[in-house]
Formats: sequence, structure tokens, C-alpha cells
Amino acid sequence: MSNRTTTAASERVAPLGAMGGSSLRVPLTLVAVAIVVVVGAVAPTRFAGDFVLRLANEGLLLGMLALSVAFLMNQAGLVALGAASIYGGSGLLFAIAMNDWNLPPAWALCAAFLIIVVYATVLGALIVRTNPLAFMMLTLAAGEMISHAVMLEALRDYTGGADGLVVSFKGTVFGMEAADFASPARFWVVMWVAAWLSGLALWAVGRSRLGAILRAVRENEERMRFSGFDTYLPRLIAYVLVNIVAAVAGLLHVLNAGFVSPESLGISVSTNSLVAALMGGIAGSVGPLLGGVIFSFAQDEFGARGLTQLLTGIAIVVFIVVFPRGVVGGLSSMAWLRKLAFGGRRETS
Amino acid sequence: MLKIENLSVSYGSVRALSDVDLEVLGDGILHGVIGPNGAGKSTLLDAVCGRRRPVAGTVHYRNEDITRRSVAWRRRQGMARSFQRTSVFQELTVHEQLHLVAQHLGDNRLDDVIEVMDLAGYLHQKAGRIAYGVQRRVDVALALIGRPHLLLLDEPGAGLSAAETLHLFEHLRDLVRERKIAAVVVEHDVDAVFACCGKVTVLDLGRHLATGTPQEIRADHRVVAAYLGTAA
Ligand SMILES: Nc1ncnc2c1ncn2[C@@H]1O[C@H](COP(=O)(O)OP(=O)(O)OP(=O)(O)O)[C@@H](O)[C@H]1O
Ligand SMILES: [Mg+2]
Repeated sequence: MSNRTTTAASERVAPLGAMGGSSLRVPLTLVAVAIVVVVGAVAPTRFAGDFVLRLANEGLLLGMLALSVAFLMNQAGLVALGAASIYGGSGLLFAIAMNDWNLPPAWALCAAFLIIVVYATVLGALIVRTNPLAFMMLTLAAGEMISHAVMLEALRDYTGGADGLVVSFKGTVFGMEAADFASPARFWVVMWVAAWLSGLALWAVGRSRLGAILRAVRENEERMRFSGFDTYLPRLIAYVLVNIVAAVAGLLHVLNAGFVSPESLGISVSTNSLVAALMGGIAGSVGPLLGGVIFSFAQDEFGARGLTQLLTGIAIVVFIVVFPRGVVGGLSSMAWLRKLAFGGRRETS
Repeated sequence: MLKIENLSVSYGSVRALSDVDLEVLGDGILHGVIGPNGAGKSTLLDAVCGRRRPVAGTVHYRNEDITRRSVAWRRRQGMARSFQRTSVFQELTVHEQLHLVAQHLGDNRLDDVIEVMDLAGYLHQKAGRIAYGVQRRVDVALALIGRPHLLLLDEPGAGLSAAETLHLFEHLRDLVRERKIAAVVVEHDVDAVFACCGKVTVLDLGRHLATGTPQEIRADHRVVAAYLGTAA
């Protein structure tokens, strides 16, 4: 925001979103990020108890879903309400692939992942063409269909129906045994890295040409077509990308829990991820992940009082009134204000 | 360059264009389209650029029947348009949007477009924040990117003063002449059209009334009766 140039000479060459100022800024940012990544991976496993870590893990899982919802909202202007069917579906497929198809765990993981990606691609191909409202309704409908199909009596042998499925495996997946995934401290490191990687990946996509095209399509699709752009494929790619993130979260979830419950496909997972995204702020990767963690801890706190629904509702209202752009959006604009107040003569524009 | 035959377009039961024939040559002259409100001028451009499917008739572009081609395909083949109701990317800066389109269409001479449309002073402002008249120029600039062969401009002078409109038309006339391309310009400002267009088509109630040089059109008694009235 601060490096807007108005001199005639710089206008011609100024690349989009150029880093103005000192050349030190980039390496310093990298060092800071590296420190946060390492400290964040290690410190909680030293200082936090299993209970807190468990909540944090759940928070990051929800945060990854929120990340996928937020990316699509922010970049493509589409609200998806079907995250749960991808999240729960990938876990369920993983269990089925091991239990019924007798695949080794790593292969089962890949199979589940691929099937979900194909499903998301086919569904996306059908629905990203529609307007945002229809898109939302269709993701909701598809999600509900899947979550009800799982409960069908005829599929009970496969899906476990209302009882869900136990996921136990022998041997290792990515060098970790089942017990490692189940340990909150070990899993925290996995979760932390996965959250960072997905956050970085989506952030990079947002900054890429694809991101620029998505935002332009969101804003004025017709003009994009009249500028020679295919407006369908970019949205389909975005839809598949965010579902990949949701599928990874779903697989991590079952590896950790050792169990798939039909609730993980339910609408409340989808709405929770939407709420988490709005709480954290949809513009960026940190917001949704943080939103997931806040949501997870808040739910626990509210649950302890036996007033989960009521307090969640109040919290959502308060959040949206106090932080209309989410916690991260709100804090960053406050930081900007402070700089303005104390930092002296920075030009406003 | 462009050949329209028996073109008819309907909005539900409203017939907005009936049986229109028109040929536009790629000979470097501006082709003006005039007519009263609701005559079907915008609808004509919509049908040519693919925004509206005609109920009958064909559109040939560079000797190919393109009646069923997509908007984006036509644009990539060099058929570009601007809009009567300004259609820009409000949330993007002027430079961001021009650059995005230029990159896509492989146009590395964006500076020419910026110069012709006189946008150098606005490059880093969001299009939604600049004056309406400048937004109109951004709209036309978006159409000029990629060196189109056929320009379809819908009232580029709307919202501009008479002097600005004339100035814009002179710019366009020179540009079209220089590049030897075709341009169809719908415009309400008859003076600007007669001053700069080599050819003028008059539409009335969805029908083609007349096509000719400005002199011929001015002298056409049907046109005078339907549109120009006593002004001519
Ligand atoms: N989207 C639409 N739905 C229904 N009718 C329409 C629509 N667009 C235009 N029409 C009708 O079609 C006819 C031609 O409209 P069009 O916009 O092509 O006229 P125009 O010559 O461009 O007029 P103007 O000078 O006001 O721009 C009019 O009768 C108009 O009411
Ligand atoms: Mg019109």
C-alpha cells in the first residue's frame, strides 16, 4: 500500500506489487518466517500439554478447511459449503481402501486422494460455471447427498453407517507409525508443517497470474471474456486446488484420529470452516488458519459451560461486528493506524 | 472484414433487430452507426461480438462464419469491443487491468494504447476511483489492446463533452486509418460521426434504414424523417 508511485518515470516500469524500499526487507522477512516455523513446530510440543495440543491440532485441521473456503471466496468470489464431503470423504475412502480393498496404507492414501480429486474435478466442472448463489447451493446439495449416501443401509458394509469406521494400519506412512500420528505432540509437528505448506501454496497461487485472473473474473467476468480470457478453466483449477487442501486435511484427520465418523461429512463441518474463515479473515493464509485455531479453542471453552451453540452464535456476531475483515484483517489495519499515528509523516492516499 | 446477413435478434417477444444486412470493410475508415434510442444499435454490436445469439442470420468475419463462436474466441481473433455502460475492473488499477489483458493477448506495445487513450496519469489508481470520463477511456483502451482488426465501440463519447467526443473521434479516426483496420462506432453525437466517419449506417426500430457517406446520409429524406429531423 505504501509504495504507490506517482512519478511519470516510475509508472512505466513499476511491476505489480513490487517490493519498494530496502533490499534487506526480503531476506529479513524470510529469516523471521523461518524462525516462526521452527519455533512454532517445536515450542508447543515442549510447553503445552496433550489436551491443548489436541485442540490446537483440531484447530489447524479446521484452519486448513477454512483456508480452502477463504481462498475460493477471496479469489473467485465463490462460497463453498461442501468442504465436509471432501474432508470426511477422503478419510472414509482411505479407510475403505485399506479395509475393503486391502491396499497398503500409503497406497490407500494415494487412492483416496486421487478419487477425491477426480470427484472434485467432475463436480467443479459442473458447478463453477453457475453464478455464486447457485454455486453455493450446489456445493451444499452435493455435500448433503454424499453425507446421506454414506448412511444408506445398502452401503453400510462399506461405510460403517452411523458407527463410522476404525482406521488402523500396520507399518508406516511417510515414515510414521499409527502411534506417531495418534500422539498429539508428534502430530502437531505434522499439522504445523502441513498448514504452513498449504498456506504458502495458496498464497503463492493468489499472487500468481492465475490469482490475478481469478480476481479479475470475480470482479467482471463478462469483461474478461471480452478480453479474450477463458473464465471457466481458471475457476475450475481454483476449485480443484482448494479441494486438494481439504482432502489433505481430511486424510491427516483420520491418520490422527484413527477413526472416521459420519459427522466428519456433515454440514456442520462445512459451516464451521466458513465461520472460522470469516473469524480469521479471508484475505490471506494466516487468517483462516488462525480462525480455525480460535474456533477450536472457543468451542472447547463454550462446551465446558454447556452452552456451545448459544455462545458460538454470540461470538460470531461479536466477531463480525468488531472484526468485519476477520482478526488478521482487523489487526493489520490497526497496525497500519498505529504506524500512522506514531510513525509520523507517512502520506495517506 | 465483417459481413452481416439477414441478422435478427429477439429479446423474448421483442424483436430488437430484423433482417439487417451490413458490410464493413477493413479499409481504415470509421464506420458510424446512428439511430434513435432503442433502434437496436447496441444489439447489433452484441450480435456481432457474440454477446447475443441471433435468432436468424449469419455473421462472417474475415471470410469465416463465426455466428456460433464464443466471445473469448472472437476477441482472440482480433474482434474487440467497448461498452455503452462502462465495463472496467473497478478494483484493479488501470495499469493492472491493461497489463493483464496485454499479457494474455501477447501485446507488448501497451504504451501505445496508454498514450492514445491518454491514461498515463492514472495508471496506478483503481479504475473505480477515477472520473467517469477517464473510465470510458479505460474501457476503450481495453478494447485497443492486442492490435484488434475490428473494433466495435458502443457510444465511446457517452459522458464526455461534445468537444471531448470530437477529440476522441479524431483520435480513433487516425488510429484506424494508420493501422488499416475496421471500426464500427455507435454514437449519439451525430456531429462527431459526420465529422470523422467515412461511412454511416442508420438503424431505426430494428431495421437497416440506410448506409452511405455522411453527405449521402444527410441528404437521405428517410433518415431525415426518422432521425435527423430538422437538425440536418
Ligand atoms: N436485455 C434486454 N431485454 C429486453 N429488451 C431489450 C434488452 N436490451 C435491449 N432491449 C430492447 O431492444 C431494443 C433495442 O435496444 P438497443 O439497446 O439495441 O438499442 P440502442 O439503439 O442501443 O439504444 P440506445 O441508443 O438507447 O443505446 C429496445 O427496444 C430495447 O428496449
Ligand atoms: Mg445502445
